[in-house]
Amino acid sequence: MIKITNLEKFYRTEEVETVALNKLNLEINTGEFVAIMGPSGCGKSTLLNILGLLDDPDGGSYLFNGTEVAHFNERKRADLRKHNIGFVFQSFNLIDELTVFENVELPLIYTGVSTAERKTRVEEVLTKMQIMHRRNHYPQQLSGGQQQRVAIARAVVNKPKLILADEPTGNLDSSNGNEVMELLTDLNEQGTTIIMVTHSEHDARYSHRIVRLLDGHTVMENIMM
Amino acid sequence: MFKNYLKIAWRNLLNSKGFSFINIAGLAIGMTAAMLIGIWIQHELSFDRFHKQIKDLYIVYNKSIFDGELHCWPSTPPALGPVLKQEYPDIKYSARITYVDKHLFDYNGKKLEAEGFDAEENFLKMFTFPLIAGNMATALSSPYKIVITEDFAKKMFGTTENVVGKIIKFDNQYNLTISGVLQKLPSNTRFQTDYITPWLFYRVQYNGDDQNWGNNSYRTYVQLNSGANLKKVNAKIINTTIKHSNGNEDNQIFLHPFGDYYLYNTFKNGVPSGGRADVVKLFTFIAGFILLIACINFMNLSTARSEKRAKEVGIRKSIGALKLSLVGQFLIESVIVSFIAGVIALILTRITLPYFNELVSLDLSLPLLKPSFILAWLVFVLATGLLAGCYPALYLSSFKPVQVLKGTFVSVNAVVTPRKLLVITQFTFAVVMIVSTIVIRKQIQYAQDRDSGYNKNNLIYTYFNGEIHKNQNLIKQDLINSGVAEAVSITSGSFVSSSANSWGLNWVGKPEGAKIVFDQMATQGDFAKVLNVKVVKGRDIDPQLYPTDSTACLLNESAAKIINAKNPIGQIIDKDFIKWHVVGVIKDFIWGSPYDPIQPMLVMGPAQKWSNVVNIRLKANQPLSAAMPKIEAIFKKYNPAFPFTPLFVDKDYEVKFSEQQRTAKLAGTFALLTIIISCLGLFGLAAYMAASRTKEIGVRKVLGASVLNITALLSKDFLKLVIAAIIIASPIAWYAMQNWLQKYTYRIEIEWWIFAISGIGAIMIALVTVCFQSVKAAIANPVKSLRSE
Ligand SMILES: Nc1ncnc2c1ncn2[C@@H]1O[C@H](COP(=O)(O)OP(=O)(O)OP(=O)(O)O)[C@@H](O)[C@H]1O
Ligand SMILES: [Mg+2]
Repeated sequence: MIKITNLEKFYRTEEVETVALNKLNLEINTGEFVAIMGPSGCGKSTLLNILGLLDDPDGGSYLFNGTEVAHFNERKRADLRKHNIGFVFQSFNLIDELTVFENVELPLIYTGVSTAERKTRVEEVLTKMQIMHRRNHYPQQLSGGQQQRVAIARAVVNKPKLILADEPTGNLDSSNGNEVMELLTDLNEQGTTIIMVTHSEHDARYSHRIVRLLDGHTVMENIMM
Repeated sequence: MFKNYLKIAWRNLLNSKGFSFINIAGLAIGMTAAMLIGIWIQHELSFDRFHKQIKDLYIVYNKSIFDGELHCWPSTPPALGPVLKQEYPDIKYSARITYVDKHLFDYNGKKLEAEGFDAEENFLKMFTFPLIAGNMATALSSPYKIVITEDFAKKMFGTTENVVGKIIKFDNQYNLTISGVLQKLPSNTRFQTDYITPWLFYRVQYNGDDQNWGNNSYRTYVQLNSGANLKKVNAKIINTTIKHSNGNEDNQIFLHPFGDYYLYNTFKNGVPSGGRADVVKLFTFIAGFILLIACINFMNLSTARSEKRAKEVGIRKSIGALKLSLVGQFLIESVIVSFIAGVIALILTRITLPYFNELVSLDLSLPLLKPSFILAWLVFVLATGLLAGCYPALYLSSFKPVQVLKGTFVSVNAVVTPRKLLVITQFTFAVVMIVSTIVIRKQIQYAQDRDSGYNKNNLIYTYFNGEIHKNQNLIKQDLINSGVAEAVSITSGSFVSSSANSWGLNWVGKPEGAKIVFDQMATQGDFAKVLNVKVVKGRDIDPQLYPTDSTACLLNESAAKIINAKNPIGQIIDKDFIKWHVVGVIKDFIWGSPYDPIQPMLVMGPAQKWSNVVNIRLKANQPLSAAMPKIEAIFKKYNPAFPFTPLFVDKDYEVKFSEQQRTAKLAGTFALLTIIISCLGLFGLAAYMAASRTKEIGVRKVLGASVLNITALLSKDFLKLVIAAIIIASPIAWYAMQNWLQKYTYRIEIEWWIFAISGIGAIMIALVTVCFQSVKAAIANPVKSLRSE
């Protein structure tokens, strides 16, 4: 599904140039559950942002389902994103002014799904995430675990082929964290490809494969199964 | 999607009530000002443009060269109109009218004074003033007819029904038959009148001389055949007056479109050069600027609070929203805000319109139910929303999700460059307005303090009507004998408004061919005595003491200088076929504009029979309440049919300043509005800044900073902006006011302290606004703000 070759990303500030990704090569197949680990600042988030087309690389190639997308323009990227990719963030990133239901509904609005169908699909996924009873609450009224479940619901409501999760359990205690990991595992078993950045060896064990980054370069891959 | 936007917008408004209040209040005030000015501009632009044939209507102008300059003015000789119509087939109709005059009407003992003019028959065919009763074609066709307005009919008869055919008495002398009732005149026409009498009636009153080419006291209007070419017509008619007067007159003529007459009423060297149009432009500019300043508040506050929305932008983008759809979303939000503000502005406009009407001396109304008004309002709301929203929309929608979704995004400072520029713009305008207000007020004060040259107090006057002319000597005698009056003088015009001038004076030694314009008045004697003006040389005109004074004249000092600086007394001045001998020189006094230099003046004695005004110098030290009934009784005795209307010179002198006073009031109002709106914005920005720096303030306080230190730290940034605004505003204000003052020959110098005062004022106001927030932040308990981390 994903193939990147010699991917590069630099951050230039006035004094220094940081190499965030240094000729990185990585291949991820459909249906995989991959964990990305590494010390702080090694480029994990940078990689995830590029994979999610939120950011563009400075060099190298990025094939998504066989299409070169490294230099897609804004419109094409947005289009690819809304149909194929779901995001889960460490800090949940729900819109405070929208209720649980409305937050989850948002991606469907942007893909132009009809009101009636939106309702069924949002309710379906909220039920699956066991958060249906909170559908009319605002994010501030929910616990961290609940918020993250809403965020996952929003990420999957469009049935994306790929979910990118950046430290999804980073702000959660262990029991809530485990619940989130179970959810991701379920989704993966139903066929969604998942790429997850994590600092936790425990969480990484849920994945099929661990990619370890060091200074923007792969150093090692552990196959879990 | 749209519903989703509305939801978010509405919840955002409710969640931050303080900011919403500032945004909406600022916009509403700005929009109110813009709407008031808009209604006024609409009035000005539509002035006399509603006539159906307006495209073909023209007013005839004279032009001639005086003192080396080409002058144009719209009063013409009476013989001109019919000749134009006769000789030039391009001209379909012509109509002469007289100046508006006041007369007494009497219907079965019910008396009313009313103002009106005489007009030729075609007047009603050319201009769109529909009759609600009567036959337009014949309404002005014979001398003893009169067309009255709806309002006049109601006042006189209490109704407009069955009024046609009734006979009313004019000046206690003529019986006129009402031949038509005019529909209520709109306020945007220059023909404000209570009635119109036929031109033929004018001929009856003044013995039929309407064939001369020298008396430029009439307006001539023409209607061209549609399709006629103005340039060609003007080329043909240019020398009509010169030709028909056999060269006795030298005024050329031309047609000026009547639709432009109101707005473009000033000519410079023969070319229309604005006039009221300039005022309209200035006001449009000011309205636009006040609105812009209100929009700037919206821009600043929306972008200052951007991190609140940044996360939302990041999320929407990561889900697949395009920048464009986000721009749309934010624009919809600003349009919603502007809609709410627009509704409030409608209410405010409704409430403030009477005050505004007073300010502009008009009777404007809010046509709430007129579709064109509603449409204009909607467009206005939309435009305001887009203007206010475009910058925030572009700014907010360009956040990159990668930056804002890390959860650490904080905009570091409330005062970043674009916002700085916007605040500077606001205060620049505010300072310009403050300086302007001060300069205008100083200028008025300056002219008011100017010595008028005579004593304005205890001087009253009244215009001739009815029997006054016949009994003028008896009236004068009685007034003196009764002990109320110190002196009485009959003159050709009032002392407060310059009403006549002429270049037809000749004297020995006058440069050959020079056209030197003199102000002219005529008196039956006691001119200087009544006026209390100093006689510098010689004596006053006094026909009782000196029988030869019939042809005596007075000069003012300026005139004496022109004629013969050394010894003007005894000089002969040739004017209107009479040889006037100079008996005295009086001190210059202000007759015309107090802003202009005093013109040379000739005051002619009793041989010039222009008597129109009785001027009465009251004895000082007697209460007015005791004097007035005595005076009235004397007038009643000799002129019983007419009401006595006394006028006061000191009060009427003030009218000379009314236009400038209005300008000052308007400038002051706009300055105040600008300051209020700008300060609202500053207040919001300061609040935001204080909030976003609570942690920093806490740390500084823990490290030992005092409340004063912190207040200064927080206020400093804003003060810099205001100071920058003062620096930018000063030259702009100087230039603008220097320009405005050019109109006045007698004017002030713009002094540096005006800028100093305006600057200090602006700084003080800004400081108070900002300090409120800064002090609040500075005295907050640091432990609290740090724990919130
Ligand atoms: N916007 C930026 N400007 C400059 N440098 C940046 C920027 N974003 C990231 N970097 C740098 O790029 C490198 C990689 O950053 P990245 O956020 O990908 O690390 P990470 O592996 O996700 O770290 P962490 O585990 O702490 O989240 C770091 O050295 C970081 O300092
Ligand atoms: Mg990271």
